[in-house]
Amino acid sequence: MNGLTLSKKQVRDTWRNITGNYSHWLSFVLLLLVAVIVSPSFLTWNNITNQFVQGTIVGICAMGMSLIISAGMIDLSVGSTVALISGFGVMVLNSTHSIVLAFLFCLGAGILAGLINGLLVTKGRIAPFIVTLATMSAWRSVINQMGQGGPFTVDKDMYAPFRAIAAGRILSIPHLMVFLILITVLTGLIMSKTKFGTYVYAVGSNQQAARLSGINVNRVKTLIFTYAGLLYGLAAFLLASRLTSIQAASAGMGYEMDAIAAVAIGGTSMDGGRGKIIGTFLGVLMLRIINTVLIMANVPPFLNGLVTGVIIIVAVLAQSNKKGK
Amino acid sequence: MILEMKNISKSFGAVEALKDVSFTVHSKEIHGLLGENGAGKTTLMNILAGTFGPDAGTIEIDGNIVEGMSPKKAAELKIRFIHQELNLCNDLTVFQNMFLGEEYTKQRWKVDKKREMEHAQKVLDSMNSGIDAHTIVCELDTAQKQMVEIARALLFSSELIIMDEPTTALNNREIEKLFSIMQRLKAEGVSFIYISHKMPEIFSICDRFTVLRDGTFIKSGLIKDIDEHQATELLIGKSFVQAHIKDGIAASITEEVVLKARGLTGQSFRNVSFDLHRGEILVCTGLQGSGTDELATSLFGASNLEAGMLERPDGPLAMHDIKAVMKRGIAMVPRNRKERGILPDLSIRNNNSLSFYVAKHKGLFVTMREEKERFDASQKRLGIKVGSDLDAITSLSGGNQQKVILSRWLEIDADVYIMDNPTQGIDVGAKFSIYTLIVELAAQGKGVIVFTSEYPEIHQLADRCLVLYKGSTAAVLSRDEISEAAIMEYSTGTRKEELN
Repeated sequence: MNGLTLSKKQVRDTWRNITGNYSHWLSFVLLLLVAVIVSPSFLTWNNITNQFVQGTIVGICAMGMSLIISAGMIDLSVGSTVALISGFGVMVLNSTHSIVLAFLFCLGAGILAGLINGLLVTKGRIAPFIVTLATMSAWRSVINQMGQGGPFTVDKDMYAPFRAIAAGRILSIPHLMVFLILITVLTGLIMSKTKFGTYVYAVGSNQQAARLSGINVNRVKTLIFTYAGLLYGLAAFLLASRLTSIQAASAGMGYEMDAIAAVAIGGTSMDGGRGKIIGTFLGVLMLRIINTVLIMANVPPFLNGLVTGVIIIVAVLAQSNKKGK
Repeated sequence: MILEMKNISKSFGAVEALKDVSFTVHSKEIHGLLGENGAGKTTLMNILAGTFGPDAGTIEIDGNIVEGMSPKKAAELKIRFIHQELNLCNDLTVFQNMFLGEEYTKQRWKVDKKREMEHAQKVLDSMNSGIDAHTIVCELDTAQKQMVEIARALLFSSELIIMDEPTTALNNREIEKLFSIMQRLKAEGVSFIYISHKMPEIFSICDRFTVLRDGTFIKSGLIKDIDEHQATELLIGKSFVQAHIKDGIAASITEEVVLKARGLTGQSFRNVSFDLHRGEILVCTGLQGSGTDELATSLFGASNLEAGMLERPDGPLAMHDIKAVMKRGIAMVPRNRKERGILPDLSIRNNNSLSFYVAKHKGLFVTMREEKERFDASQKRLGIKVGSDLDAITSLSGGNQQKVILSRWLEIDADVYIMDNPTQGIDVGAKFSIYTLIVELAAQGKGVIVFTSEYPEIHQLADRCLVLYKGSTAAVLSRDEISEAAIMEYSTGTRKEELN
C-alpha cells in the first residue's frame, strides 16, 4: 500500500538475518538485559571494566582458539601452555630484572609452543585433538616439576612496576581491557582483510578443495597454531603480571574449556569454515555475564560449570539447526 | 511385481531434482532408465529405495500405495538396489560385506559365519566370478568389487533389482556374464531397472526404456522401436546432438608444445607420454580404475609421480608443490565438485578468488572492491546466475557452482588447463556453455586436457583422444578416428594399439 509497510517476506528475511548472521549479538543483548534486570547496577562503568579485567586473559586465548576452530581443528593445550610460559616468564623476570626481556621471552615461548603443535599436526600428521592432548599433559608436567609444589613469585623489587602492567589504567580504562580490544581488532583484521583469513576459513570448510585451489594447507595450519601460541604467550605474560605469583598446578586451569566455550557461544561453527571474531569477543563477555548473574542470583558456585555446559550445548544446537534448514 | 511411481517431485534446496516424473515397470522386464548425469535418475531410484522421501507423488506396487518407503521396507518388498558407488567396507571380508545388516544368526545373537560363507560362495560361484568369499575386500580390484556388489543383491530372492551403472568397471566378458545372469533371473520372474550411460548395453539387454532430462519425464517406450541415434537425441535434446561446437570456432592448433609429458608413472598408471600443443584439446578417457583419476591429479602436482617428467617450454616442472605448478601456468578444475571443488561455507565471491590469491595476488591485504570487480567480470564472461555474490556458494545450482569453480581458474589466466570431469552432475544447458568455453579457451591459444568418460563430451571436444586401459596408454586417437565403439574397445582392453 505504501512504502512504510514491510512485506511479509521482508520481515522474514530481516528476522532470518538477525537470528542467522547476528545471532551472537541477539544473545548478547538478551543476556545483558537479564543481567540488568537481576542487578540494575550491572551497567556501571566500574562493573563493566571489571568484567573486562576478569575476561581478558581467557579472551586473548579465545582469539587464537577462534582461528583454530575456524580451520576445523581444536587446541586443548591452552591452559598448560599459559601456565608453563607464565611460570618461566616469572623466572626470566626475576633473573634478568627486565620486564622487556620477560615480555619477549613470553611471546617467543608462545610462538615456539604453537609451532610445536602446528608441526606435529602437519608434519607428524597427528590429529590436533591428540597432539594438543599430549602437549597439555606435557607442559603441565614440566611446570609442576620446575615449581616443585611451590609458586613462582615475582621478586619484591620487580613487584610494583611489573604488576602495574595488568593492574594499571589509562584514562580510567584498565590496561587489560585495552589489550583485549587491541587483540580483537588485530585478529579481526587478519581474518577479514587478508588472504590468510580467507585461507583459514577455506581450510576449515573443505580441506581437499582448499589444497586443490593451491593453498598450502599445512603452512596455513602451522601459522594458525603459531599465531595462537603468540597470543597464549601474551596471555601468560599478563597472567603473571596480574597474579605476580604463579601456582604451577592450578594456573591457567580450564582456560581451554572457557576459550572453546566463548568461540562456540560466539557462533563459530564447530565443524570449521565459518565464524566471526566479533562473535568470539561477545562470547567472552557473555561467559563473564553468565558468571556474574549466577553469583548475583545466589546460585551455588559449584553449579556454575553446569550452567555454562548447558549454554554451550544450546549454542551449538542452535547452530546445527541453522545448518539443517 | 508391477511398480508405478506417479507424479514424483523432489527438491534439494533451490535445486529441483525431479519435476512431476511418472515411471512404470512391468513384471518380468528389464527397464532401461536413461538420462545424463544430473537428469534425476539416481534421485528417482533413491526415492524408490527409500533413501529419502519425495516432496510429492506416490509409489504403487501391484496397485497398492506404499506409504513411508524406507530402505527396510524396500527390502521387505523384495526391492534390491545396486548402488553406483561401491558401498563396501574395505576392511571386512567379502561375505561379511554381502551380509552386512542382514546377518544369519544362530541362537538369535551369534553370527552364523559358516552359513554366511557358504551361501556367499555359492552366489559368487554361480556368477563365475572367481572370487573367494573369505577375501578381505581391499584386496579386490574395482571390477571384482563391483561383482561383489551385484552378488550382494542376488543373495536373497528379490522381485525388482535396481542397477545403477553396474558395469562401469567391468570388461566385455564380465558384462556378458552379468547379462546372462540377468536373463536367467528375468525368466524366473524378476524385474530390473537398468541405469547405464552405455548405449550398446541398453540396446542389448533392455526391453523398455524411460528417458529423463533435467529432472523431467521425456519419453517411455519399447527399445525395439528406437535406435541409438534417437535415444541420444531424447537423452540430451535434439539441438544439442546437432550442435557442433567446434565447427563455429576456428581451430588454431600450432606446432608449439605447451606441455610435454614423458614416461609418467604413478600408483595406478605407468609410462604415459604425450605432447600437448598450443590451441589443442586433448581428451583423456578410460574406465573407472584405469588410472585416469590419478593421472589428472598428478599432472597438477596434487598426487605424487613415481617416475617421469613434465616439461613446459621454459623448462621441467617440479611436481610436488601445487602452488609452484600453478605459478608455471597450469590450472586444474578438479573432478567431484562437492568434495574437491567448492568451499561450502564460503561466499561465492571468496570461492571465486581463492586461486587468484594464491597465484597472482601480491601483498597480504585484500579489498572487497577489487574482489568484486574480478567476480563481476567473470560473471559476465561465464553467464553465472547469482542473487548476491556474498551468498554462500551452496545456494547456487550445480551448473552455476561449476561455473564459479571454472571462473576460479580462469582468474589466474593459465596457459594449460586440466579439466577433470568438468561437467559432472550438471544440466545440459550448463554443459553446453562449459563446452563452448573450453573450445574458446583452446582457440585463444591455451592447451586444454579434458578428463572425461562421457562419449558425447569426447565427441564435442576432442582434437585427440588418449585412452587408458589398466594404467597404460591403449590408444591415441585423432579426431577422425574417434567413435564410441573404438573408445569402448580400447578402454575395455578388447583392442590394443601397438605403441612404442
